[in-house]
Amino acid sequence: MTVRRVAVTGLGVLSPVGNDPKTFFSNLMAGKSGIKRIQTDFVDSLDCKIAAYINDYEPLDHFVKNKAATMDRVTQFAVSASQQAINDAGLNLENEDLERFGVYLGTGMGGAASIEEGYLRLYKEQARRLKPFTVLMAMNNAASAQVALDFGITGPDLTFCTACSSSSVAIGEAVRQIRHGYTDVMLAGGSEALLTFGTIKAWEALRTLADEDEVNPSASCKPFSGNRSGLVLGEGAGMVILEDMDRAIARGAKIYAEVIGYGSSNDSTHITQPSVEGQSRAMRKAIAEANISADQLDYINAHGTGTKLNDITETNAIKQVCGNKIPVSSTKSMHGHLMGAAGAVEFVACMMAIQEQALPPTAHLLEPDPECDLDYVPNIGRKNVKVDTIMSNSFAFGGTSGVLIARKIS
Amino acid sequence: MDTFETLREIIATKFDKPLNEITPDATFESLEIDSLDTFDIIFDAEEKFGIKVPNDEVDIKTVSDVVALLDRLRAAQGK
Repeated sequence: MTVRRVAVTGLGVLSPVGNDPKTFFSNLMAGKSGIKRIQTDFVDSLDCKIAAYINDYEPLDHFVKNKAATMDRVTQFAVSASQQAINDAGLNLENEDLERFGVYLGTGMGGAASIEEGYLRLYKEQARRLKPFTVLMAMNNAASAQVALDFGITGPDLTFCTACSSSSVAIGEAVRQIRHGYTDVMLAGGSEALLTFGTIKAWEALRTLADEDEVNPSASCKPFSGNRSGLVLGEGAGMVILEDMDRAIARGAKIYAEVIGYGSSNDSTHITQPSVEGQSRAMRKAIAEANISADQLDYINAHGTGTKLNDITETNAIKQVCGNKIPVSSTKSMHGHLMGAAGAVEFVACMMAIQEQALPPTAHLLEPDPECDLDYVPNIGRKNVKVDTIMSNSFAFGGTSGVLIARKIS
Repeated sequence: MDTFETLREIIATKFDKPLNEITPDATFESLEIDSLDTFDIIFDAEEKFGIKVPNDEVDIKTVSDVVALLDRLRAAQGK
């Protein structure tokens, strides 16, 4: 079988720092953070009162009322980000053979709000019945199913659930669908909307969430900084259009980059603790598939959660595989940890980095940590730099890694 | 409480439909209301009237089908 090349031809993003790729990336470049104090009725019951929410997103601007009411927030995000990506790619689906299209979507917790709403009605309000749509809104595959339904896509439609690496894995696996000829175009990425009371309390109990920065709540996530205290939960979605390169060129599509490598592996050491061996294994696999040497990378978007364990492990894994010269940044310092959507949203940041020839910074990196000694692009983004080849790292509870490598086409 | 008027109110509020579109003969399909949503409507009516809708299969196409179902249950359950 001929192995085909895969182009990225469309981007869609809903993030705490912007609801389109341009705004998203310019805010990242400016070091603007979307992390802020939670403003909900349950905030007083939280120890951790910060999160990264989507702003200025009104479901009724995108869906009619009775449809919006049957879609969990995670699904609304997924469909809206997909629509953006389709528009950006200039695809007119009416003229397409949609059997040759597929949807691969990652999510960590699926319809978290619908599950919580159901439990609230049942246990707190002692309701006798739940909404008939409860199952269909809560199930993990609701978002990818709705994307396929809304756009009439009849090729493969799968949901990937590997916690924080879900959407990187979804993109990597989607690339293979095209590469090996099963499909021509894939809508791939991820969506997450888990900022519910129950979920935040569950994360609190894990003791991995950041303390609120006393001076500036938006600076609470400090990856690779000596004064880091953990991750900040966020919500959002990232979707990209992946397309057979020949097809993309033939129709004159705008091509952000070619996806040249994907590596996936499991740490197989501990359900939460990352391992240098596991992370470097995934990076090595991606680099081998890309058929490049590590020093050809111009930028690494780190998993960079802002937990001590991740930051040091990832630093050592990067050093082992790529040395210490390549610029690395964690944009989670600004958009927070989007869990199942993180990999896709960060991949969108990488696509924009190639387009703009600019590197987004790691924000709030003010105290050096002797154990984290790479070039993290601290605090100030770099413009007018050469960004041809990027690597985007995603690691996860459960140990599944997803590493993506993409390169600008000449 | 008039069954039809109450039902009309529920449908109008829930799905943002003008009252004049919700006639007894209107089908849920014509109102663009999914079959699962008709159950949501019935469950809301159940609460409003204080009745219990059994889990039997019911064939519902129009607004008046629901009115008939609710009237039957209200009479049987004295509500």
